[in-house]
Amino acid sequence: MTEHRVYLDHAATTPLDERVLAAMLPHLEGRRGNPSSLHASGAAAREAIEEARESVASLVGASPEEIFFTAGGNEADNLALLGMARAAESSGKRHLVVSAVEHAAVREAAHHLEGSGWEVSWIGVDADGLVDPEDFAAALRSDTALAAVMWANNEVGTVQPVEELAVVCAERGVPFHTDAVQAAGRVSIDVERVPASTLALSGHKLYGPQGVGALYVREGVSLGPVVFGGGQEKGLRSGTENVAGIVGLGTAARLACEELEERVRHETGLRDRLIAGTVALPGVSLNGHPEKRLSNSVHLSVEGVEAESMVLFLDALGYEVGSGSACASSSAGHKASPVLLAMGQDDYEAFSVVRITTGKDNTVGEIKGFLDAFSTAVTQLRELSPLSTT
Amino acid sequence: MPETYRPEVIDHLVRPRNVGDLAEPSGVGESGDAACGDIARFSVGIEDNTLRDVRYKVYGCAACIAAGSALSELVRGKNLLDAARVSKEDIRDALGGSLPAGKEHALTLVLDALHKAFEDHWNRAAGDMLVEGYGGADTNSGKTVVAAMSGGVDSAVTALLLKEAGYDVATVTFRLHDGERGSRSCCSPDTVLFARDTAHRMGLPHFTLNLKDLFQKRVMRDFVGSYEKGRTPNPCVACNAHVKFHAAAFLADGLGFHHVATGHYARVAEGPALARPKDATKDQTYVLWPIPQKLLARTIFPLGDYEKTEVRRIAEECGLAVAYTPESQDICFIPDGNYRKFVRKKVAAEPGEVVDATGKVLGNHAGVVDFTVGQRRGIGVSAPAPLYVTEVRLRSKQVVVGRRKDLEVREVRVRDLNWFLAPEEARSVQVRYNGSPVPCEIEEPEDGEWVARLAEPAMGVAPGQSAVFYSEDGERVVAGGVVARRGS
Repeated sequence: MTEHRVYLDHAATTPLDERVLAAMLPHLEGRRGNPSSLHASGAAAREAIEEARESVASLVGASPEEIFFTAGGNEADNLALLGMARAAESSGKRHLVVSAVEHAAVREAAHHLEGSGWEVSWIGVDADGLVDPEDFAAALRSDTALAAVMWANNEVGTVQPVEELAVVCAERGVPFHTDAVQAAGRVSIDVERVPASTLALSGHKLYGPQGVGALYVREGVSLGPVVFGGGQEKGLRSGTENVAGIVGLGTAARLACEELEERVRHETGLRDRLIAGTVALPGVSLNGHPEKRLSNSVHLSVEGVEAESMVLFLDALGYEVGSGSACASSSAGHKASPVLLAMGQDDYEAFSVVRITTGKDNTVGEIKGFLDAFSTAVTQLRELSPLSTT
Repeated sequence: MPETYRPEVIDHLVRPRNVGDLAEPSGVGESGDAACGDIARFSVGIEDNTLRDVRYKVYGCAACIAAGSALSELVRGKNLLDAARVSKEDIRDALGGSLPAGKEHALTLVLDALHKAFEDHWNRAAGDMLVEGYGGADTNSGKTVVAAMSGGVDSAVTALLLKEAGYDVATVTFRLHDGERGSRSCCSPDTVLFARDTAHRMGLPHFTLNLKDLFQKRVMRDFVGSYEKGRTPNPCVACNAHVKFHAAAFLADGLGFHHVATGHYARVAEGPALARPKDATKDQTYVLWPIPQKLLARTIFPLGDYEKTEVRRIAEECGLAVAYTPESQDICFIPDGNYRKFVRKKVAAEPGEVVDATGKVLGNHAGVVDFTVGQRRGIGVSAPAPLYVTEVRLRSKQVVVGRRKDLEVREVRVRDLNWFLAPEEARSVQVRYNGSPVPCEIEEPEDGEWVARLAEPAMGVAPGQSAVFYSEDGERVVAGGVVARRGS
């Protein structure tokens, strides 16, 4: 096992930025207050949360009152869909429009609603993973309570035409939710330009802590709560606030705002070097849109090589990457990624993928080392493969 | 169960052993498919029942790659019997212990691929021998036995009893047709996988033979053909006559083994003659009569000395997972039991008349294949008293019906006899599976047919069914044969 480990799985989670940790520590150490308390300690906690709320609002171009903290991106997505569904109960609208490539946080919430009597129109994608705005618009109906398309895909990295989709929804009076968990901190987000009703983001994808996220809720949009209790977050998300986590998210959001341009420039350079070096090997091809993709995301199909063995082989060589597919192996066998199947791949293609996602702290040297390891892994695993023809 | 892989697994992943394909393999086997997402291939080089060389390839998760690599190391250079004994447990141990949750199927997958390579080896060695029919060489002696293993309780206990009696036991499961449970997917419950697990839990080597061509030619085609000819076939009889015992003998000869054994309820008496078992309610002599005497001479039926309840108890006490499997009663290649539907799919229906004994037309029927002598249901003619099919006339497409007493016969003609004892020993004849023997006298053959004159009338004797003659003590089978055209 190599001692020096290179982390190239930033779509799964990012390292905690030391400046974020420094901002969080005072809230984990020593005396702390409950933000709901009236005394000085409570007030200090409350103040820290409101400061974080402003930072998160700035990251997406919103007002602080439109930001609601949650225990992560998954919960924010759930709150958007289920909260909107609860709010729509009286209207009689029971139809959703959802893309076929959503993260499970949205997809499973939609499946849950489908199971309880809602009708869901699943919008397909092209071979690059893009939603066609015309297909999307055609699916909207007078009884559509919500439409949801992610900003950027967590597997293949394709960036959706969310502006166009959000505008269509605004014109048709349909609330639009976008899961920006992968996009936040990597794409310039402005809810003035992209008129989404709700938008979800997560702390640990932008060098903040795990277990904290936020939902942007446009002023005037009404959601029903899905967690009940103490009435925190204006009653939308009860439960004593995760003060340190929220402060961490706020700090991470502020840093992302400040450094966005530099990060994108740096990651794009690494990404393009990765793409060029990998697709030069026979039987290796890039998935997702060649241009409309996240600055840090490389998703590859590797003929004749199964994802998990590839990831573990690279791990043994000291490189940490993702399998990029929800490869939930079980006694019943693999489950191919629904995203790749939606993009028209067959089972074997969908099992033969690897996701490499860079971060702000990766170096060119690390990428060079990775390309050597990748070539070794592909060659050795192909020698093993009864499928490989390359 | 660990959440992550052990270092042994990663070591096999990064430095896999015995990777590749043999240039001139004696057998190749593959397991897995697109639905599973994993696929394993083994090629083996077997000489003198020794696994001289083995190579493998895997497309799949790290567990599959490591399991294949470890298995190749475990079996390479081994005696074939010891290689066929290597179990999932052995591979698991070689990988340092249990695999992460959901990865245990890797063990099944690679073991299945290796065993399919063994199967290919045997089928290559057999060539057309098995399809044409294998009489057996039996040049070996000693306390060695090939035990047929279906995955059910009877065959499992058979193997166990033989092992406890001090035999060297090799088990074998036959692939007979495509309707077997789970035969299309590597990951679902599968008869062969289950039988292999059962054998391995007893520490016994397991083999598989593909007999689909043989079974198709000798059993299924005959089954459908009999209905076409207005006869009532017994596929279990055909299988015992041409398939099971021949194939087991083939493997025994290949392994240098002497005996063959099955989980049938019967005994082998002096002669050798087939004889009734201890448990009269499970007696299978009626379907075992066509075993050639030469094969019977080397056959052991360990369950012949046990009651079924004892067999179940033994299985329970020994913790065999097969102990609670239900009795299989149906024809094995027609799992839903609807054999009319099965025949109809293969044979065009030929409509005709339903007539009485005088030739008076009572109605019409949709096809002679739907009828068999003795049948009461589905005749489609209303009558004051129940009607029975008494005859199926193929040429005129007529189905003759009559009263129950019209089914009575005093004479049965029997052809294709397989003799164990001298004809003069025959005292009674049985003409149905669960019927009682009727006292009879038999007459010298004319045109290859024997005639049994019955002391009392028998009902519903259908051409194509078996007639089995028993000795004076009622225990030993003198001969068996096939009922020819109806007696008068």
